[in-house]
Amino acid sequence: MSNKVAIIAANGGLFDAYKVFNIATAAAASDKEVQIFFTFEGLNLIHKQAMHNLEMPEGKEHFAEGFEKANIPSIPELVEMAQELGVTFIACQMTMDVMGLTKEDFVDGIEVGGAVTFLEFSKDAAPTLTF
Amino acid sequence: MNITKTLDAKGLACPMPIVKTKKAMDSISSGEVLEVLVTDKGAINDIPAWATAGGHTIIQQKTEADVLYFYIQKAT
Repeated sequence: MSNKVAIIAANGGLFDAYKVFNIATAAAASDKEVQIFFTFEGLNLIHKQAMHNLEMPEGKEHFAEGFEKANIPSIPELVEMAQELGVTFIACQMTMDVMGLTKEDFVDGIEVGGAVTFLEFSKDAAPTLTF
Repeated sequence: MNITKTLDAKGLACPMPIVKTKKAMDSISSGEVLEVLVTDKGAINDIPAWATAGGHTIIQQKTEADVLYFYIQKAT
């Protein structure tokens, strides 16, 4: 049985962030080795400023109340929790180049890599998830 | 039953009960028992699934006044 969980985060909304970090932290808390590859809009999720203001899908803003009522942790909290549990964050070099971003634009402790970095990790991971 | 440690995770939403349970479990020794209190209904299935994955044993589980109680013995 594989002990690795590989996740591709390719979208940058608030709901996307919860999908990614909930699965990642749950997997890490279950002693899985977890790596997340952040590409295109997915880079928002670990961007120092953007991660604090992720948007909800249009027309779904009313769920803000539900998040509060259900006592859902914030995305920055989940990011910190994921890193504390040993989840590896890989930012896509190519997307960073396109968007003019550098490693300093992101939370500390990330790695920067290309598609092959992720493919190498994920070749024997189960499951591999894309959000 | 000897309870070594109690984790109060009431009011916390997924994935926090699991994350906190993992941390609490890390702090006790093999064979010792962790008591976990949760109100997240997802935990009904999540805690047993998590325990099984880690080789831990749920020796007792009950619900009282909407609070779920799990007694998990750490794997040896």
